[in-house]
Amino acid sequence: MPQPITDIYLPRQAKVEQIIVENSQISTFVLAFSDHTYNNAFRHQPGQFMMVSMPHCGEAPISISSTPTRPGAIHLSVRRAGKLTAAMHGLRTGDTIGLRGPYGRPFPMEQLQKKDLLFVAGGIGLAPLRGVINGCLDQRDQFGTLTVLYGSRTPSDIAFQSDLGLWKKQGVDCRLTVDAAEPGWDGAVGLVTSLLDDLKPNVNQSTTLVCGPPLMFRAVLGRLASMGFSDHQVLTTMERHMKCGVGICRHCHMDGKMACADGPVFSLAELRQLKIMELDG
Amino acid sequence: MPHTSELADSHLLKKDHLKGFLRKLAKEYRLVAPVRNRHSDVLFTVIDDLDAAEIELNEPPQNSLKQFFLPQQERLYTYTTSPEGYDFQPIPTSIPPTVYFGVHPCDLSAVLYMDVVFSRRQRDPFYLRRRQGSVLIGINCNSPAPKCFCNATGSGPFIEMGSDLQLTDLGDRFLVEAGRTSGHGLIERWQGFFAAATDKDRAARYQAFLEARGRFSRQVHVEQAIRRLEADAVPDEVFAELSLRCQDCGGCAYLCPTCTCFTISDQPLDAISGQRLRSWDACTFAGFTAMAGGHNPVQAKTEAIRQRFTHKLRDDVRLTGRPSCVGCGRCVGICFGGTDIVRFVERACQGSL
Repeated sequence: MPQPITDIYLPRQAKVEQIIVENSQISTFVLAFSDHTYNNAFRHQPGQFMMVSMPHCGEAPISISSTPTRPGAIHLSVRRAGKLTAAMHGLRTGDTIGLRGPYGRPFPMEQLQKKDLLFVAGGIGLAPLRGVINGCLDQRDQFGTLTVLYGSRTPSDIAFQSDLGLWKKQGVDCRLTVDAAEPGWDGAVGLVTSLLDDLKPNVNQSTTLVCGPPLMFRAVLGRLASMGFSDHQVLTTMERHMKCGVGICRHCHMDGKMACADGPVFSLAELRQLKIMELDG
Repeated sequence: MPHTSELADSHLLKKDHLKGFLRKLAKEYRLVAPVRNRHSDVLFTVIDDLDAAEIELNEPPQNSLKQFFLPQQERLYTYTTSPEGYDFQPIPTSIPPTVYFGVHPCDLSAVLYMDVVFSRRQRDPFYLRRRQGSVLIGINCNSPAPKCFCNATGSGPFIEMGSDLQLTDLGDRFLVEAGRTSGHGLIERWQGFFAAATDKDRAARYQAFLEARGRFSRQVHVEQAIRRLEADAVPDEVFAELSLRCQDCGGCAYLCPTCTCFTISDQPLDAISGQRLRSWDACTFAGFTAMAGGHNPVQAKTEAIRQRFTHKLRDDVRLTGRPSCVGCGRCVGICFGGTDIVRFVERACQGSL
């Protein structure tokens, strides 16, 4: 008799326990599987993602923004971008969604131990890094200095404000910038690259984790290279259209690699081997 | 080499006995074979009435076995949504054990490739439940069709592995070679139909192989195209030119026995229920990689065409040691833009290297 095969595509029901409104476009959904046993046993690693089902909307990959060091709830920080994410923004506490996962290659946390970590993010790009940062704070003695550079369009677009506040209190060097100031903003104005100009990192000791829109990404890479970072010291996570999430359907192809299963986390050295628009423009 | 076949256990089946053997098989299995229909098309078809079916073993069927293992569209789940919850229900399905009879080496190679796709990273339950109860009975190609180039892709005209039973037409009889355990089982079970093969029969098989090898009417330099892709030596203009001619119809991907890209989508049935479907997709379709909000990381049609050929002729060679084009020529027949893989190989090989 053939052995039974796990139904890898079957979503499990999860309940919205809390919704944190990050800005007008981004909310963080705090979720728990309805099956308590499954929920208690669920573990992920930072950088992995879930396939989210919404009624009549199909599925979409959403990176997990919570840290594995705080099990019991899955945080998904979602920007309103299309039909499925718009439906998510209509969710209320107590509603249920479908989840399967976790999927993908995570950030190599063991390689990051003892390193000074520089996080560079734009907009929703802070979501996949949020789990790494909180994980580092939960095991503070295992990592070096933590620096977060975060760019937003305007001051009212700054998401993850409560996280940023908590991180500052815990000694993380958080620096913000906006593309366009608003009355009352006395912080930096300009690209997130300009924040790099003020930093004097110990490059040999450091690893940078970058996530943001392609234009920002390319600008940051150029700046990091001139600061002396090698391609092996730069990690990122890729965003692609996905259907299966497990390396079969090929919607997330990246010149022979699958973002879902070979990534979504890649080192810049790995990405340099590929023809992809994030690097080629 | 084919004269020292790995399917060493060989038998004879007289052509007069074929229908009788199939009749026995049909009692225990669903039978699928290439059948000439009333429009004179040859298609892999589920045979309900063996006496009425005209099984055609010489002309390549228009479809491959892909649709039987990866249906063009299949229901994965039904779902319901209500204030009490949002739940998915598996579709109760029983896949009958099926004998696929008269499968040419190209299509056998394609099934072996699909086995890799649907079990390498994750075991795909919907594919495997169809594949697990299947028996493959192949037939070597004595007379490759004008469109065929399996000699250039290493997947024909004769095949040494992959099937449960492998037939070679020796005129009034088939040489039958047993591959897997299940193939031995079939011969043991119905041994009355089979006689022992002699060295003379095996020599006749080798002769048939040599003659088949000499009958290809086109030379397609697949190996050279693979080398040029691996060396990044195919000019961008080749992809640009082919992309201009691609009409985005998806015909190549649908007919291709190894194109397994799929999409998953929801189809509402009413306000509170619906079904989740898996359907064939094509990497050349404009929206294949488009993300929510419209951003597309594969921006130009040129890049989609590059993906199609690079996947088959470079990435899968890296992965499995051989291209996932099996040389069946189906895309050549269907493509009215002239963007098929043979055209690509020809253009990729122009110039040096």
